[in-house]
Amino acid sequence: MAARTLRPLILICDDELPLRELVKAVLGDGYRYVEAEDVEQAEEVLKESSPEAIVLDVMLPGKSGLEFLSELRAKGGGKAIPVIVVSAWQSADDQRTALKAGADAFVGKPFDPKDLASVVEALIAA
Amino acid sequence: VIAVSALGAAAIGATLALFFVANARLRAANTASARSATVSAAAFDVRGQVIAIDVALQQVVEEYNAKNLAQWRHASTSWEHPAAVLERAAAATNPEQAQRAHALRDEIRSYIDDYGEPVVGIAKVSPAAVRSSVAHTEGTLRLDQIIRDTDAVARSSAVIAADRSAAAGKLADQASIAGVVALILTPVLLILLGVWLARAVAEPLRRTVAAASEVAAGNFDVRLNDRRRDEFGDLARVFNTMTESLAVSRSELIERADSLERSERHKSELISMVSHEVRTPLASVLGFTRLLLERDLPPSDRQRYLEIVDAEATRLATLVSDFLDARLIEEGRFSLRREPFDLRSLVREQAEVTLGHDESHDLALELPDRPLQIDGDRARLAQVVGNVLSNAVKYSPEGGTITVGAAEDHGHARVWVADEGTGIPPEHRGQLFQPFYRGDAAAAGIPGTGLGLAVSRRIVEAHDGQIGFDPLDRGTRFWFDLPLEAAANGRR
Repeated sequence: MAARTLRPLILICDDELPLRELVKAVLGDGYRYVEAEDVEQAEEVLKESSPEAIVLDVMLPGKSGLEFLSELRAKGGGKAIPVIVVSAWQSADDQRTALKAGADAFVGKPFDPKDLASVVEALIAA
Repeated sequence: VIAVSALGAAAIGATLALFFVANARLRAANTASARSATVSAAAFDVRGQVIAIDVALQQVVEEYNAKNLAQWRHASTSWEHPAAVLERAAAATNPEQAQRAHALRDEIRSYIDDYGEPVVGIAKVSPAAVRSSVAHTEGTLRLDQIIRDTDAVARSSAVIAADRSAAAGKLADQASIAGVVALILTPVLLILLGVWLARAVAEPLRRTVAAASEVAAGNFDVRLNDRRRDEFGDLARVFNTMTESLAVSRSELIERADSLERSERHKSELISMVSHEVRTPLASVLGFTRLLLERDLPPSDRQRYLEIVDAEATRLATLVSDFLDARLIEEGRFSLRREPFDLRSLVREQAEVTLGHDESHDLALELPDRPLQIDGDRARLAQVVGNVLSNAVKYSPEGGTITVGAAEDHGHARVWVADEGTGIPPEHRGQLFQPFYRGDAAAAGIPGTGLGLAVSRRIVEAHDGQIGFDPLDRGTRFWFDLPLEAAANGRR
């Protein structure tokens, strides 16, 4: 019962602090947040907790966001976690690559706050 | 060609000369034969006359009368003419024969004067006395001698003629052999000449045509043998020079096309990189602005969001101006604001700025005790050290120690930055300082414009310095050298 009333946990993985702030501001107080600056930190977070959704940047220092996503999907453990890829690389090719890697949604930078909020909401509800 | 032609002509000439000589000899032999016949005929005539003299003398001895006496008188003079003829003919043969014929004449005259006439004189008074065997025997002996000598003259002439004839015949045989040899040799020489001409002219010509066709087909590596000393050698040298320069121009064109293609590719990479770099702060600015406009936020949040918008907009402005600045420097459109300063302080400052808040990298600072005084543009050189340092950070994502140092080295100040990062693959080392060149960085997700090192090189070279790097077992060491102030002043 307690778990039901708990607000959903969202992992925000982006090396840019303002972007992490923006995502939190856009999604609002309805969620709990855990942040990661790179893939290494994101993997640490996944070991300790199981977030309801991941908002993932592509261009990260070291391993890229898409590499992390592919490995996550390959392991199978994170299959259930919806992943929203947020990237400044937003050509049709970039979107296709992200979806192929296992993304559930793709949001280009810059984005409309309402769009991101509705995508996250829809994916968590599903 | 000339040598072979001359050889052929000489052979033919020698054969012809041999024929002429043989012909002349044969004609001489013929003449000798004719002369020998004349001598034989004359000798025969003389022989007949001598016998007539003997007969007339015998008749006088047997019966001394007017008729026989008249016959004796006639016989004792009529031999003179044939003897003279013989002597002339013999003289034409050789001096020896002439001498023999002359001696024969004397012998006959002596027979008439010393024997014939006295016998006739004695026969007039005492025919019985002259009929004695003694007188008769002496006459017979002398006469036999004369006839033997006459025959000898004729025989000698015949022998000489036969000798000459044999010699001429031998020469004619030799001439015939020489003619046959020349007949065989001439076509052989002609064939050799033809083969030589084919080798000397046709073959190189064929090779030149083949080579020219190759060049026309685009193969500029073809070369002709240029070691010949004749006109074909000259042609080959000119041809080779031509193909070499064609090859050089073509490779230059290819190189230029490649470099254009490379620079196009780099520019399109740059455009996507710049748009990415711009979109990231733009996303914050637009996102927070939209939130501020659409939502009713508590004042504390509003303030915080506005601060973020301000910071990100500033970052955007800096990014754009940095980029423009980099372009200007890259194009060489900048001037240095030189001032004397200690390079150590600049290095320390930049190391602090870049690595002061970096928790994943350890800093090792190696600075000398004595100042490194140089005369340069402090801000631009700070840019260089900053670029090299931020590269060291970006390209060693696993962390490690970054060593930053400076030292005096042969009248120069050397600054170096060594990381323990990924290192530079050999295939990228040559183009590292090319503008927009990023190697595999874009694929690896390492941000940047590919302008940092190109700009750094421009700045260092504007200071009469040098920039380079050494691959390490682990990571890379970048360095640059600048003239120390004393050295710089000394050169001015």
